[in-house]
Amino acid sequence: MIDREEYRIVISPIGDIESALSDSISSEVIRIYGFRTEILSLIERVDFALDPERRQYFSTLILEKLAAVAPSRAVKVLGITTADLFIPILTHVYGEAQLGGKTCIISTCRLDEGNPASRPADFFRRRAVKEAIHELGHTFQLRHCPERSCVMHYCRSIADVDRKSDQLCRHCRVMLTDEIQRLGIKKNPG
Amino acid sequence: MGSTKILIVDDEHIMRESLLGWLERDGYAVDAVASGEEALDKLKNTQFDILLVDIQMEGINGLEVLRRVKEDDPDVAVVMITAYGSISTAIEAMKNGAYDYLLKPFDPNELGVLIEKILEHQAQIRENLYLRDQYRERTRFESMIGQSKPMQVVFDLICDVAPTDSTALITGETGTGKGLAAKALHTHSPRCDGPFVVVNCGAIPEHLMESELFGHQKGAFTDAKETKKGRLELAHGGTLFLDEIGEISMRMQIDLLRVLEDRVFYRVGGTQPIEADFRVIAATNRDLEGAIEKGDFRKDFYYRLNVISFQMPSLRERKEDIPLLAEHFLHRFTRETNKAIDGLSREAMDEMMLYDWPGNVRELENAIERAVVIGKDRKIQPLYLPFYCARHFSVPSDDSLKEMEKSHILRILGENSWNIARSARILNIDRSTLYSKIKRHNLRKAD
Repeated sequence: MIDREEYRIVISPIGDIESALSDSISSEVIRIYGFRTEILSLIERVDFALDPERRQYFSTLILEKLAAVAPSRAVKVLGITTADLFIPILTHVYGEAQLGGKTCIISTCRLDEGNPASRPADFFRRRAVKEAIHELGHTFQLRHCPERSCVMHYCRSIADVDRKSDQLCRHCRVMLTDEIQRLGIKKNPG
Repeated sequence: MGSTKILIVDDEHIMRESLLGWLERDGYAVDAVASGEEALDKLKNTQFDILLVDIQMEGINGLEVLRRVKEDDPDVAVVMITAYGSISTAIEAMKNGAYDYLLKPFDPNELGVLIEKILEHQAQIRENLYLRDQYRERTRFESMIGQSKPMQVVFDLICDVAPTDSTALITGETGTGKGLAAKALHTHSPRCDGPFVVVNCGAIPEHLMESELFGHQKGAFTDAKETKKGRLELAHGGTLFLDEIGEISMRMQIDLLRVLEDRVFYRVGGTQPIEADFRVIAATNRDLEGAIEKGDFRKDFYYRLNVISFQMPSLRERKEDIPLLAEHFLHRFTRETNKAIDGLSREAMDEMMLYDWPGNVRELENAIERAVVIGKDRKIQPLYLPFYCARHFSVPSDDSLKEMEKSHILRILGENSWNIARSARILNIDRSTLYSKIKRHNLRKAD
């Protein structure tokens, strides 16, 4: 068993990300996943992932790059970017994660979508936090959850994102605990 | 969701991988191959619920994969993936059985919604198949019982015919369940919430038939003290079942024919035309075509009734249903009579299987009822069956006292399972006398 204290979830803002957003995501990640976090910009730019035709950024390439530069203390890495992300088969993605892997990324590019009148207060931060917890969940082997209020629920619309909570449901919490045990990491005494 | 298996067939590694990763995060069991050949190979050993197939591939292309997959398993959902500019090919694929197509790159929601739609559709198909199977396998259809092929044909016909509004003619020997089939047609039709009105054409005297069918106005004839609605009127919104239609008079055939054509009639003594909306189902055990030839039945009326027709099989034609039917009736009558009877003896069942049942299911029903009523054992024995008694204990042609005595003793012994003490008591003789009579008449217990 490895001590959880030795590990960090590294939160890597890429480019122009407000520190308040990184901090907010960081505190929620600690609350949900029980690991210490470290805000550390691992890469400055994502130009290498730009598809000139689509004028979007290929998120899978960014994940590979983040994994390559991640410090050994990073149990997981979460990238935050303002770039519009895609994977080749889809028009766009809000984020991507390596299922059961080390890295994930979220994009804030489309988080201001939806009807402005129906947006909750502080909607941008809340959406970003939910996306971050969601994508990190995939790195811990969590799949999309049918429970609509669970943060691992895959939302078909931004309004659904606003409706779901920023919590893991009971089932996903159990799956997370199992995965952390499987990784050989000691449970936090707290 | 984890049990849903998806196969991605795409020769572009990057497309394959990104789609696989996306669907895995959605919780599906996903596999991916790079060619049509690999896909067909994989499908030999693994069953998938959904195939996402790129149209443009070297070697066996997407359309060919679709064709071969559909040949083997028409239920698998195949979604074609195509680049902009190949939509016409995608549409062609849909004509050949593809469920839908996606234009690369597609919106993540579009993919999710499509997969959910496919899964719902497949669940519905499974449910329908299940219900269909239930329909096929179940032993009872309404009160109709049968697992035999001829009865499955009847059940299927009822399923097909019931939703239509067409007039139906049910033929078959007496006791085959024509009335039950008519009721089943009604209860499975859109008119099921309406009335099911039965007219037994053979049981109503001709002089009352007109009033029964069409109703009458008060004062129309001497006994018409009140206005009365006829059965046609009562059947409004439902089904009118004309049982034993072969017995109806020529005059009434004309009247009914007119009603069937115009859907309008008058009560006896009435002047107001009455419109009634009902479906007609008729039944007969008579050979109506023969009756037409003899001039007993109107050809035009026959054709009006015979829009859809089917024949109820005789019990002889579905002997494999006898055990099931017998068990059903036995259960019903033992419950009704509160008698402790466990079942039918093997000998009784053998006899029933050998018998021809000219009165069909109704005769079987009566036979079991009688056996339950008079039976004295835990199991029904052959001698309780009326046809068996008739064959073995028939009144002797020789009316001599000796033959009468022999027959009587044999019957009592049979009814009492050859219990000598009990039989002797019933015959009011002592056991030794009974033994000597058995010996004298050379009586033997039936096998």
